[in-house]
Amino acid sequence: MRERSLQPTHSIGMPFTDAVSSTAQQDDLQLVAASKNGDQDAFAQLVQRYQRRIFNLVYRMLQQYEEANEITQETFLAAWQGLSAFRGDARFATWLYRIAYNCSLKQLEQRKRDKALQVALEAEQGNSAGIDTELDVHDRQALIQEHLSQLPAKYRIVLILRHLQDMTYEEIAEILTMPIGTIKTHLFRARNLLKARLQALDNESDRGT
Amino acid sequence: MRCREAAHQLQLYLDNRLTIEQARALEAHVATCAACLEELALLEEITQNLYHIKVVTEPDDLNEQIMQRVAMTAQRTNAPRFSLLRPSLAEILVAVLLATIATLGSILQQPSLRALLPIANGHDSLSLAVMSLLHMLTTVDSSTLILALWLIGTFLGICITLVLAGSEMRSQWLKAMMERLPVR
Repeated sequence: MRERSLQPTHSIGMPFTDAVSSTAQQDDLQLVAASKNGDQDAFAQLVQRYQRRIFNLVYRMLQQYEEANEITQETFLAAWQGLSAFRGDARFATWLYRIAYNCSLKQLEQRKRDKALQVALEAEQGNSAGIDTELDVHDRQALIQEHLSQLPAKYRIVLILRHLQDMTYEEIAEILTMPIGTIKTHLFRARNLLKARLQALDNESDRGT
Repeated sequence: MRCREAAHQLQLYLDNRLTIEQARALEAHVATCAACLEELALLEEITQNLYHIKVVTEPDDLNEQIMQRVAMTAQRTNAPRFSLLRPSLAEILVAVLLATIATLGSILQQPSLRALLPIANGHDSLSLAVMSLLHMLTTVDSSTLILALWLIGTFLGICITLVLAGSEMRSQWLKAMMERLPVR
């Protein structure tokens, strides 16, 4: 699937200002406490603080700008509604990432159902418009990005969290509520899949020349 | 070091998850093995490219849109805190059944309680079967009997806990069990 966004992506080409310091975590806790009491301004500050990271996570999971916009909104809305369930056992960011991942998965499921319906409708109408699957990407990075979007969701998410969001194995394990061993295995398989696809492409172009 | 072992460690190396000794051993192997060097170069290319995928800016009005929806949405109260402890009727019935089975032994041993039950009161084939089973249990060696009872009791206890924990907890438990299976 070629990356198609309804509007151009506005890359700013700089990493997230990560390294959540203990003071930032302290701030989070205060803002969460205020938000739990219904303080919308406090919640707006939390949104401001995390919206870019959450948007990017969702965008890389869904590969659609408008859909990512909608699902990011739903993530924050779900967080707002469920704040009373957040007891501070994990960091607020971890909890929020978990919601974002679950919302993205739900959307992917929905998309699968919609697609099945669409395919059924097209078959009924005898519409056999071919889907352009030809890869016309020469740039290696664009290619890797393309392959990333085709990986199964469970492999895509570990690569996104590890490389795009620069998280440790421990943080990823906490977000996905999986043992670290499973995270390692998923990362290993995900990169091997990317590697195999790149190698296949290299072999193809070698034969072509 | 063999190539197979090296192949497994290359990704951990790129993620800085190896000890210094492991990293040195791997570097020594890669320095002499063209295949592993190529593998490392390819993996490095992939990880570097992933690291450099650009951050996308969110829509300008994202915060505003979220807060508009927040303003129209009430927060959920603490009510669902005990929802996990609210089993459905079917779950309660199963738990009662299992608990009855767990205490059946002691009920059947009391003649007065046994007489209250419509079954196993000494006048039907079921009661004969139960009696012979009880007789067999009391004649086996006591440590085997205790072990058997302990195993049955533990199993029934786990079943009752899972039944009362609710479907969400059950599926999480099952998932966690599957994750821990040593099959890779």
